[in-house]
Amino acid sequence: MEALASKAKELLAAGTVKVVIGYGKGTGESRRPIFVHAAERADDLVVDAGCVQNLATYLTKSEVRALGRMAIVAVPSTLRSILQLAAEKQLREENVLALATIDGSIRELATFDAVEETIATIPDAIGEADQKMIDKLTAMSVSERRAFWAGELGRCVKCYACRASCPMCYCERCTMDCNRPQWIPVASHAIGNLEYHMVRAMHLAGRCVQCGTCGAACPVGIPVHLLTFFAESTVRRQFGQKGGASAKLDYAMSTFKPDDKEEFIR
Amino acid sequence: MADPFEPKMTAFVCNWCTYAGADLTGTSRIKYQSNVRVIRLPCTGRIDFMLVMKAFSRGSDGVIISGCHPNDCHYTSGNYHARRRWMVFRDLMDFMGIDLRRVTFSWVSAAEGAKWAELVNEATNTVRALGPYKEVQQLAVAGID
Amino acid sequence: MSRVGVFICHCGENIAGTVDVAAVAKAALDMPGVVHAIEYKYMCSDPGQTMLKDAIRDKRLDGVVVAACSPRMHEPTFRRTAEEGGINPYQCEMANLREHCSWVHEKGEPTTAKAVDLVRIQVEKVKRNHPLKPIRVPITKKALVLGGGIAGIQAALDIANTGSPVLLVEKSPSIGGHMSQLSETFPTLDCSQCILTPRMVEVARHPLITLYTYSELEKLEGFIGNFKATIRKKARKIDEKLCNGCGVCQQKCPVKKIPDQFNEGLSNRAAIYVPFPQAVPNKPVIDLENCTFFKSGKCKACEKLCPTKAIRFDQEDQIEVHDVGAVVLATGYKTMPVSNFSEYGYGKYKDVIDGMKFERLASASGPTGGAIKRPSDGKTPETIVFIACAGSRDRLKGVPYCSKICCMYTAKHAMLYQHKVHGGKATIFYMDIRAAGKNYDEFVRRAVEEDGVKYVRGRVSRVYEDGGQLVVKGVDTLLGAEQVEIRADMVVLATAVQAQDGAEELAQTLHVSYDPYKFFAEAHPKLRPVETNTAGIFLAGACQAPRDIPETVAQASGAAVKVAGLFSQPELTREPIIAVVDRQPPPVFSHCVGCFLCKSACPYQAIEEEPIKNRNGDVLKVVAKVNPGLCQGCGTCVSTCRTKAIDLQGFSNEQVFAELMSI
Repeated sequence: MEALASKAKELLAAGTVKVVIGYGKGTGESRRPIFVHAAERADDLVVDAGCVQNLATYLTKSEVRALGRMAIVAVPSTLRSILQLAAEKQLREENVLALATIDGSIRELATFDAVEETIATIPDAIGEADQKMIDKLTAMSVSERRAFWAGELGRCVKCYACRASCPMCYCERCTMDCNRPQWIPVASHAIGNLEYHMVRAMHLAGRCVQCGTCGAACPVGIPVHLLTFFAESTVRRQFGQKGGASAKLDYAMSTFKPDDKEEFIR
Repeated sequence: MADPFEPKMTAFVCNWCTYAGADLTGTSRIKYQSNVRVIRLPCTGRIDFMLVMKAFSRGSDGVIISGCHPNDCHYTSGNYHARRRWMVFRDLMDFMGIDLRRVTFSWVSAAEGAKWAELVNEATNTVRALGPYKEVQQLAVAGID
Repeated sequence: MSRVGVFICHCGENIAGTVDVAAVAKAALDMPGVVHAIEYKYMCSDPGQTMLKDAIRDKRLDGVVVAACSPRMHEPTFRRTAEEGGINPYQCEMANLREHCSWVHEKGEPTTAKAVDLVRIQVEKVKRNHPLKPIRVPITKKALVLGGGIAGIQAALDIANTGSPVLLVEKSPSIGGHMSQLSETFPTLDCSQCILTPRMVEVARHPLITLYTYSELEKLEGFIGNFKATIRKKARKIDEKLCNGCGVCQQKCPVKKIPDQFNEGLSNRAAIYVPFPQAVPNKPVIDLENCTFFKSGKCKACEKLCPTKAIRFDQEDQIEVHDVGAVVLATGYKTMPVSNFSEYGYGKYKDVIDGMKFERLASASGPTGGAIKRPSDGKTPETIVFIACAGSRDRLKGVPYCSKICCMYTAKHAMLYQHKVHGGKATIFYMDIRAAGKNYDEFVRRAVEEDGVKYVRGRVSRVYEDGGQLVVKGVDTLLGAEQVEIRADMVVLATAVQAQDGAEELAQTLHVSYDPYKFFAEAHPKLRPVETNTAGIFLAGACQAPRDIPETVAQASGAAVKVAGLFSQPELTREPIIAVVDRQPPPVFSHCVGCFLCKSACPYQAIEEEPIKNRNGDVLKVVAKVNPGLCQGCGTCVSTCRTKAIDLQGFSNEQVFAELMSI
């Protein structure tokens, strides 16, 4: 913690970065994102087991970028997000400095290559509970799954917190906001909810870094992250490509191999 | 007595292969069931996965998607991209509880008029046996719940 | 508010016999936006078309749906009629009531209902059609031909003779290609160089052809009509303007033992050399890998002795960038190396040679003056065995395709041998005889009947050396698989034709597709054999597939006419069914977020990056832009775009959505 605070002070005082995006104390035991502009406030930064939210989503917000060079406290999923954003030309190396929190220490990573090397050493795994849930769902029958999701998505109020919290959902005009044509009903409509989450999962296939922030953000507790995890793992299994592995674009859904294998096309 | 259920089938086809193949079916006067409505697109690569969901929510009971055989795409690689997209979308649809038996994917070339007729008939029969896709259609008409 | 007119065709009885056209017309009038709906017996006929034009004018229609046969049949017809009637041709759509309805379903209510649905789909589409103008792209009327063999030479001459300048780029120091290495050509037994060298000279002297020998293409940017080619002129180390071709440098060069590639290693050359006496241009080049000066800084004999002081050791490669409008690929082929064949000696046996080496032996200007001699000891072979299909038609250890030219050249080789060595015995082991061209079969018969060449139908399992001779073990399948053993003095393998080394890299540089054997891919195997899928790049000769000389020349002329056709118009006009990335007023500028996932999906590399700048020149954002010259309108980018910032004119998101909603 002290290491982070002193590093942040150093960076801000020298003007190397204009803002440090990190975690601060929230109500009770919760942690929430904070933006430290002045070196004096660097002590508000917290690093502990409760800091799991993927902060990379702020790297694409124009109000934050307008501040200048950003430093970001980065858990492994944030590092992956940085790489994926770089691959999609949303981040420039000179505009972001990652402060990776690995094994209790703070590592300053100034280049995408450094981030790539660091990430390569960290195994990515979905949390146990989530994996159990996915396994449970895949073991169900089609109609059981339908009933499960109908029940879950029935609670969706279309607040779009999942979209707002996801670093990869940086589109200025989301397809949901397009009204000519209006692909998906905007209201909290049963079919609209199903379609929205399906579309979101498809748009994240091959780009999701499996941070789970979307599910954590949902105010009514729908495990939407399972959908994006599933889409991501399908891409990984079928095409060997995963989101956030490299700053060079390798997007399975816009490339192909002439001998991709499938068995369902007649 | 109510009319026996006739499924509503929507087909998304590519202009250069399957649409031409369906034309050949017509020229050869091969008969097939009339439940299908064809939407012509330049290439299967143009088929957005959202269209499939929209077809169902709009009342279709079955969807057919068909294009050029791999390596024959008029635009070189549109069908390869479509194939990848379907490989992922199909898994996701299944995960979210959409009945995959109602979706048929195929490659029909401009010379395969008979295959088109066979495909439509088979798909229509399968969906007829499954009945109307009430589960999705109900969601479409349901209000805010 | 739309004013759509629906015109339902009876097509005689073709549609009206099964579909209740009157009911369809009535239903059409009820569709929102339709102000006019009629039915007529034959819409494509003159009166039918007049009716269409009159209705457009009288009812002030802004969209037309012709419900008739397949659009693949008559869309251009009705679009032209609509244009004559006064509306943009792209405001006309067709509903397929014939191939997709009346011809495939039984007469009855469901069929008529389907017809109504099909009309409704097109009405909804046409209401959202935008008037589109064909796209005009300027053209640079200069062609680039890659490869100076017979294909490249023919294409260059044909294009230049239509009046357009041509840049002919050849990798080796002289043009001519493999044809210059051949002795005589089938089926006429014309001396190959005699028919080729006049063409080579014509190319050199043609005022519109600029020859770049010993040069390679480094980069090709741009698109059809507007390419930018970066050519590297490798340094010959000779000032070509001063050199007069006297040849003193070659004679006096102390390094003389380099295997001569032109003679397939049968003779040696010096480190400074002209590839062959009839080379065009007849200027030497210094082989940097073997030249004493470049290896150790000593010698310089050529510089001292050159009468015109033309040697330039410090000459550098030069890079030139040219604007061209079309490219013809004519990079030719190579043959499979003898070392590939384990059963025939891995290339260890000096007297087991391939067809090209035999050509050099038989050639009057070759290392033996046209006498057939064994490479090992220079003796005349009394018995030669020719093995056809060495490596071809071999799924397991070679290539599965037929190399096309070997049956003919093997017959030719055997005949030449018989002509030169009167008592010689030539045996050809074959699988089939492929002699399909004009006078080809007669040529092969001549080899058998007049020249006494022995044909044995069977394959050779092994060739090994024994006492200075080669033992060939084969089988004669026409004599009941009888084992055949021949003690031969020389074995000639008709090795498979393969794509040139470096073909894959060149294809990738040009963004041209190629098959698993690295032959360049044509746009359509039947109907578009000289075009590639990359607009503006054409194919000629063996780089596309194994091919003999008459076909190569024909194809080269074909490619040339495509280029000439392209250059014959003032501008290139293209169908406007292309993708467009939206543009919005500031501060949005575009919904595109610049992720460029569409760029990797596009099969034609038609998506470019466009920086959007403010008045100070600062870049605000980089968004995608579709090159209208390259986009072919497939729409893959549209379904890849998450934010739907890119759309396909003619099949836009709105249109497809509306079509779907109307069912």
